[in-house]
Amino acid sequence: MMIKKEILERNPLLKLGFKNEYILPDGGFGAVLAHAGVGKTALLVQMALHAMMHEQPVLHVSLNDAVSKVDVWYRELFSDMASRYDTAETTEYWETLLNYRFIMTFRVEGFSVPKLEERLSDLMQQNIFKPNVVILDGLKFDESGRGLLIELREMAQKYAMSIWFTVHTHRHEPPKEDGLPLSFLHVADLFDVLVQLAARGPEVCIKALRGQSPDAGADELLLDPATMLIKKR
Amino acid sequence: MKFDDQKIRNIGISAHIDSGKTTLSERILYYTKRIHAIHDVKGKDGVGATMDSMDLEKERGITIASAATYCEWKGYEINIIDTPGHVDFTIEVERSLRVLDGAILVLCSVGGVQSQSITVDQQMKRYKVPCIAFINKCDRSGANPFRVIEQLRTKLGHNAVAMQIPIGLENELQGVVDLVTMKAVYFDGDSGETVRVEEVPAGLLAQARAKREELIDAASLFSDELTDAILEEKDIAPELLYAAVRKGALKREITPVYMGSAYKNKGVQPLLDGVTYLLPTPSEVENIALNMDRNEEPVVLTCDPAKPIIALAFKLEDGQYGQLTYIRVYEGTVEKGSTIVNVRNGRKVKVGRVVRMHADQMEDVDALKAGYIGALFGIECASGDTFVSPGLNMTMTSMYVPKPVISLAIVPKDNKSQMAMSKALNRFSKEDPTFKTHVDPETNETIIEGMGELHLDIYVERMKREYNAEVTTGNPRVAYRETITQRADFNYTHKKQTGGAGQFGRIAGHIEPISDEEFVFENQIFGGAIPTQYIPACEKGFRESMAKGPKLEFPITGVKVVINDGASHAVDSSDMAFQAAARGAFRDAYLRAKPVIHEPIMKVVVETPTEFQGSVMGLLNQRRGMIIGSQDEGVMCVIEAQVPLAEMFGFSTVLRSATQGKAQFTMEFALYRQVPQSIAERIALEVAHNKKTAA
Repeated sequence: MMIKKEILERNPLLKLGFKNEYILPDGGFGAVLAHAGVGKTALLVQMALHAMMHEQPVLHVSLNDAVSKVDVWYRELFSDMASRYDTAETTEYWETLLNYRFIMTFRVEGFSVPKLEERLSDLMQQNIFKPNVVILDGLKFDESGRGLLIELREMAQKYAMSIWFTVHTHRHEPPKEDGLPLSFLHVADLFDVLVQLAARGPEVCIKALRGQSPDAGADELLLDPATMLIKKR
Repeated sequence: MKFDDQKIRNIGISAHIDSGKTTLSERILYYTKRIHAIHDVKGKDGVGATMDSMDLEKERGITIASAATYCEWKGYEINIIDTPGHVDFTIEVERSLRVLDGAILVLCSVGGVQSQSITVDQQMKRYKVPCIAFINKCDRSGANPFRVIEQLRTKLGHNAVAMQIPIGLENELQGVVDLVTMKAVYFDGDSGETVRVEEVPAGLLAQARAKREELIDAASLFSDELTDAILEEKDIAPELLYAAVRKGALKREITPVYMGSAYKNKGVQPLLDGVTYLLPTPSEVENIALNMDRNEEPVVLTCDPAKPIIALAFKLEDGQYGQLTYIRVYEGTVEKGSTIVNVRNGRKVKVGRVVRMHADQMEDVDALKAGYIGALFGIECASGDTFVSPGLNMTMTSMYVPKPVISLAIVPKDNKSQMAMSKALNRFSKEDPTFKTHVDPETNETIIEGMGELHLDIYVERMKREYNAEVTTGNPRVAYRETITQRADFNYTHKKQTGGAGQFGRIAGHIEPISDEEFVFENQIFGGAIPTQYIPACEKGFRESMAKGPKLEFPITGVKVVINDGASHAVDSSDMAFQAAARGAFRDAYLRAKPVIHEPIMKVVVETPTEFQGSVMGLLNQRRGMIIGSQDEGVMCVIEAQVPLAEMFGFSTVLRSATQGKAQFTMEFALYRQVPQSIAERIALEVAHNKKTAA
């Protein structure tokens, strides 16, 4: 399928200096750090869409939004990605991609790893869905302790999944030398890959803070403020 | 001069099926003296509820068509639309919400927020209808209004606050404590018509104070005056508190909750007070029309009766005196004898009788002013048409009408039934845009189409009852469609020489798939290879071919036909010859264009206790369902999936047994999607089998 081939070839994340197409190893943790409203979810949904295009099942867990709202993120970003292709082809491709996505939402206070694992095993035992990539959007790092992340890491390793998190950084909290906010330091060592989004004037820059391969070339990437799609400067 | 619409309320009563909203409407009519006796919904007294004017509604105890009525309460004019509760009738709910300014969301104190409440709430959100909630059936065993308030918060995201607390619950329900006035309200007399106000019983005082604090806290966000009064520890006047709650309610940021039992005649009068205090007047709601002369530029309407008319026909009924058109007037005044224009077709019509409806009875009035809901007689139009004063070219935003997804063959038992059936079908399809009917030319059966099993079932019943049409029905059939997946060229000659004038026509070109339109015809012939006068015949031939696929005979959609060459004969070519050539060309190219079958996919939302989540997902999965996601709601969870309609017959029984009856589901049409190869083969076999049996 032409559309699939072209979109995959254009995967701009590879330009960020990551060697591996999927960036994270099985059981690995990645995080996108940014202030509120800069585009963390948009970036992660694009990573998820690329994984889905590689036929990697993605479980999107949202602690903020309803299923319908998460679905809209995917639809909008996909239709922007595929805007220059024929509608019939994109609609058909979208229908195929949906088989690789499952959305779960929890209320923040109701979220726990055993609960997530219980839901997940419901799906896996019946062969309904087995994710390779998990997007966990909305976890509050300053409130949830290290324990929860360790439990998540164990679960990720057990099921050979990689997990991407959104990390909400606060404007009043100046980053440390390595670019990480203080409230994230207690768990930072658990992460293999860290990507930061920073608004600079009208632009949103994407910067890899950890996990690049030393020999991979890195371009500067931006989030297009109009479509929230990743693009090269 | 600005017309004072402060004393008008246009409200709807929406809820999950069997929450008691028709009973509530009945009590409202009784207390506002529109009716003089109370009848049970289920028709035990042989009369049935007034708002359920159709016999069938009375017997099944559900409301099918929304009846409009108006009543007066303490000097306020209230127009009420009673809306159906079952999901198959959502077109009615949507239509009424479109024209309402506020709504009462009725919830069962035992069942709480149920699946249909969620659907209705989403519809209210879509049309930004402010609402107040009424927790009904507080006399039932297991009643717990505070649990329902919590569900309103958690499941629907409402900032729900109690305006009352109950005095006793279940069979000890005596009345309510009004948290605004801090008085106990009891309902005396045979039908609860005498409202007795007393001091709050000592045993409830602490609870009432605590709940009043919560109410004041929530309301203070909307009024600085109230906040000042709290800080200064002044007495809070009821007017001040109502004004603050009203402000929040109009923005949909607070949902005031009333409670009682309509059946036991408790709590209805305070609810009516709530409607007048807290729901908006017509001019407080922003209604938008589109100016057709300025590229559909949105125009905010002002609800001024002195301005030119803008009115929306939102429901049609074919009664014994001709067509009755329900309208909502947004601007201007629709008077008897005035001339209005139907924007859709530009036709001018003179307004004859203007009436206000009271279920199936009516009352003649001289005019309907901006903000009012009423009905006109003898106006030919379709549901959703906009009427304006001559010279205006505005339209209210159109209402979305989904296409039917299920069909049923019906056969009349005798000639008499045949006549009655066609009369009934004619009326139903005019009243309800989601109900369609046609005759299958091959089997000669009459086919009815609609939005779900119950939808069609009700119409079959209505045929029997209202028209004495005895019909037998076949199995429900899914509305499959065919489409092509690749381009195919054609070059077809139609030639016939069998005595007399011959027939000749040659057409060449190609067909290709398109996704956003059903059929596109493009003529790329230059130089007159096919004379211009035959081009419409070619288009007609192709268009006719779309009605039925050559192999499986489902309707075809999404095809673009391009013709770029051809030939004609000076004597033998004719419209008929080119139509036949087009049909032949289409047949020829179609099979090479890799046709596929598409099936209707339903959005299914199941609400289940979390312990059954796994098995519900399993059930959906077994039915070729694609689960979009699951939403955790504490003890309950909501699973959203897309499932082919063909797999959903009998789902309610299976779901009930898998979840001990604790799960509920709603279903609505979502999209058409290609059926997998194995299923396509099965469908092809079924079609072949049906053809054989028909032959």
